[in-house]
Amino acid sequence: MCPVLGHLDGRFESADAEAEHRIAVLYQEFGGPLLRHVRKSTGNDLQWAEDVVQETLVRAWRNSARLQWEPSLIWAWLLTVARRIVIDGRRRKSVRPQEVEPPEVDMMSVPDGSERALSAMVVADALRSLSEEHRQVIEHTYLRDRTISEAAEILGIPPGTVKSRLYYGIRALRELLRDKGVAG
Amino acid sequence: MHDGVAAYVLGVLDDEEHEAFERHLDTCERCQAELVELAELPDQLDELKNSPSSTSGDDPPMSMSH
Repeated sequence: MCPVLGHLDGRFESADAEAEHRIAVLYQEFGGPLLRHVRKSTGNDLQWAEDVVQETLVRAWRNSARLQWEPSLIWAWLLTVARRIVIDGRRRKSVRPQEVEPPEVDMMSVPDGSERALSAMVVADALRSLSEEHRQVIEHTYLRDRTISEAAEILGIPPGTVKSRLYYGIRALRELLRDKGVAG
Repeated sequence: MHDGVAAYVLGVLDDEEHEAFERHLDTCERCQAELVELAELPDQLDELKNSPSSTSGDDPPMSMSH
């Protein structure tokens, strides 16, 4: 399941062995929290989540200069790397990605009594309070697993405009959620 | 370049741009700070993606602001 650790024996006779040791340390430090986090975006698919964590930590090891960053920044970066790997995986798995429709913001069915459902409702509300331009780019990129370029083509606006609207839209969303006490 | 941080954190940049942004991130403290701030926001959007929803064949009600 974890080939890079498969024959780790505690001796570092080669660069490879040292590399394996470093990855083992990364696993120890970030593996657990990252796995818990990634599972949420793989729909609880544990095998997939484990693969994503492994690939994330291997990439971290390859970019070891970034591991000198502050822990909060390392964590933010690892989350972003892992998310990108999940998205790539989902895009590969999806035969017809353009036709995958996300749940519509206005049509969410939210079961009672679930913290998660409550959170979904709060986020849906926040999205609805954004300007049309901001909501539109968030929906047409992240919520539909589309890249900036794909969304730009569909919306008929330049990629730079999508990127910039996304920036201001995401900042606005973050402010709204922070005001509601949801964002950290 | 700085406004790429949102697209980066959401993972919606093309490969080339994604890598370019990471190189920018290495030296841009402003973007590093914003990355930390925004890192968990996509998880909140995932609440929408993963939330059970009614399946509908209707066109999405996304009016283009007219």
